[in-house]
Amino acid sequence: MLITILKDTGVITGVSGILAILLVIAERWLNNYGDCKINVNNKRELTVKGGSSLLNSLSEEQVFLPSACGGRGSCGACKCKVLDGGGPVLPTEKPFLNQAELADNVRLSCQVKVKSDVSIEIPESIFNIRQFSSVITEIIDYTYDIKGITFQLEPGETIDFQAGQYVQLISEPYAKVKQGVTRAYSISSKPDDVNAIQLIIRLVPEGICSTWAHTQLKVGDKARFTGPYGDFYLRDTDADILFVAGGSGKAPIKSMLEHLAVVGTKRKMTYFFGARTPKDLYLTEEMESFEKLFDDFAYEPVLSHAAPEDNWQGKTGFVMPFFKDAIRDPKNTEAYLCGSPGMIDAVTKSLTDLGVPKEKIYFDSFG
Amino acid sequence: MEISAFLLFWAAIFTSNILLTNFLGMCSYLSVSKEVESSMGLGIAVSFVLVFTTALNWLAYHYLLVPFHIEYLQYIVFIIVIAAFVQLLELLIERFAPALYYSLGIFLPLITVNCAIFGVSLFMVIRNYNFLQSIAYGFGSGLGWLLAILMLAGLRGKLREKMVPAGLRGTGISLIITGIMALAFVGFSGIAPIQ
Amino acid sequence: MKPTGKELKTMQRMQPGVQTLSGFLGDDTRPLNEIIQDDAIVLDRLGRTQQEVAKRMESLTQASWDSYLEGTLVDGKYLVQTEVYRGRMPCPFGHPGIYRKAVTTLTNQGNGITVVWTSLSMHMIGAHGFFEGRGSAYRLEPETLIKALFD
Repeated sequence: MLITILKDTGVITGVSGILAILLVIAERWLNNYGDCKINVNNKRELTVKGGSSLLNSLSEEQVFLPSACGGRGSCGACKCKVLDGGGPVLPTEKPFLNQAELADNVRLSCQVKVKSDVSIEIPESIFNIRQFSSVITEIIDYTYDIKGITFQLEPGETIDFQAGQYVQLISEPYAKVKQGVTRAYSISSKPDDVNAIQLIIRLVPEGICSTWAHTQLKVGDKARFTGPYGDFYLRDTDADILFVAGGSGKAPIKSMLEHLAVVGTKRKMTYFFGARTPKDLYLTEEMESFEKLFDDFAYEPVLSHAAPEDNWQGKTGFVMPFFKDAIRDPKNTEAYLCGSPGMIDAVTKSLTDLGVPKEKIYFDSFG
Repeated sequence: MEISAFLLFWAAIFTSNILLTNFLGMCSYLSVSKEVESSMGLGIAVSFVLVFTTALNWLAYHYLLVPFHIEYLQYIVFIIVIAAFVQLLELLIERFAPALYYSLGIFLPLITVNCAIFGVSLFMVIRNYNFLQSIAYGFGSGLGWLLAILMLAGLRGKLREKMVPAGLRGTGISLIITGIMALAFVGFSGIAPIQ
Repeated sequence: MKPTGKELKTMQRMQPGVQTLSGFLGDDTRPLNEIIQDDAIVLDRLGRTQQEVAKRMESLTQASWDSYLEGTLVDGKYLVQTEVYRGRMPCPFGHPGIYRKAVTTLTNQGNGITVVWTSLSMHMIGAHGFFEGRGSAYRLEPETLIKALFD
């Protein structure tokens, strides 16, 4: 009896064992694509181990394409041109690619598996994107739901960015949150400070990363981020400038103004900040100090919901009606907008109506 | 019991269609039959896997289970063989036929739990088929399953523009259609009985 | 019905701390398909479809979207306001596409009911019939929601 049981289990174990070993060997052998070369812009050649996605292979080599969903193929942010070796376009990519992009060999890098040598094309600025380790050196409470946090890079490290760009902060696991996430925040410090950056972080209801930054981070803690990203940055011209911001949209404009303060400028600039009530206003003194510093700069906070007891003396309502007086020559005016998409739409419409060229309106509509 | 393999192949498609007479493989049949294209993909994958797993299971049964007198363990062994084979197949296709993988690959994991695959292996044992017969029966069953799911997918495509009572939409009406198709297939049954 | 692999994956993404701080399921212990079915029954009883509800939410959100700081009064009694935060979020059901982090508050001044929803809620109701689990931060009771939207 015992012998029979032993024999029977033995056979079953043997069969499963052999099959399992077979599968492991097959996996080793079949999934081993050896070393593959990724040719980037015909300039750099990276050697990676084949078998993983293009997005991951690149980030292991410190080339960071933007990605909002972490390689799940659901955000479409990690597009890049795959000229050779990418294989057929997958059904999972098709919803994100239009005809022009398909014809142009644009692919979602998270869906392309590196199985052979590939050549790709990415914007030059992406080479500048790196991962940074930092230590928190300062946390300022700007309002009830907005904090400014300064991240000091490791000794010897520097970051090269343009005023207006953003980074992706990587949160660490805490409380119920078992994995880190990455979220985008604009840099609010000037690019001339190359050893540290400041981020202005607004607490998002139910937000994993902003809650982490607001409740967990303390001075002295370590934090990681990648960057810089984005094509919202200050253009170096002589045109007049109109800055318009709402909510936490103050960050990139603070960076631009601080940068201009360092390099000096004669440009005529007006800054409209739209908010609801006086308690949503922040950094007012800093902004007003710029009025003394620059030849021709005005800071105009505009409140939409100022209550009588607030005793608000400044402008009220929407920001749009005040543009007319601030614009000298619409053809020679650049506008930098940062805020909610509703605000961007309304402001863009009002500016184009006033004659500001569309291509001179730059905006960051909260990703 | 000496039916020629050739006859068995046709019989498996029409007179004893694995889906319409044995009602096996219903799960994926109902869930994937929304579009003709994916039905075709899954059907081909099922046929493919059926041929190989029947062959492998026949060998396992006659050269492993019978000599060791452990026929009662056939359920476990068959399932292990099917699961391992599908896994291996997925790896192989991904490596050597990427184009096929992208059209077929997503269906392969679904097949591991398709009871038609397991059912065919069990029928092969119960009905004492020899090796050639088993392969013919496996291939025929696969094509029969493909035929059935294609028919349903085509009909469901037509149904999309028709008024179907709210409670019957989706699975309900599909089951009724399947029943009617099964009735129609009973008409074939006198031609070549294989039970 | 036992949960399928896809459902398990979806429920995994709905856990606290995966996509949002406290997840989409709240303290609901029912499996996902039961949550959806129970709400579907309520909707049916009230004679509304999930698409109808989502459409109505979308049109109200759109109205508030256009006036970005003020609340908007639609049809004289629906006060809607949308607050947009930076960033976007994917659908936990694994749909392609990402949704803005925008929180819309609707007060029906006729009956005084206030409901709050996000861009993702509208998608999840319209495409998946999912009103979130009981106790979740953005759980919408179909009955209350319909009263707020249509009464």
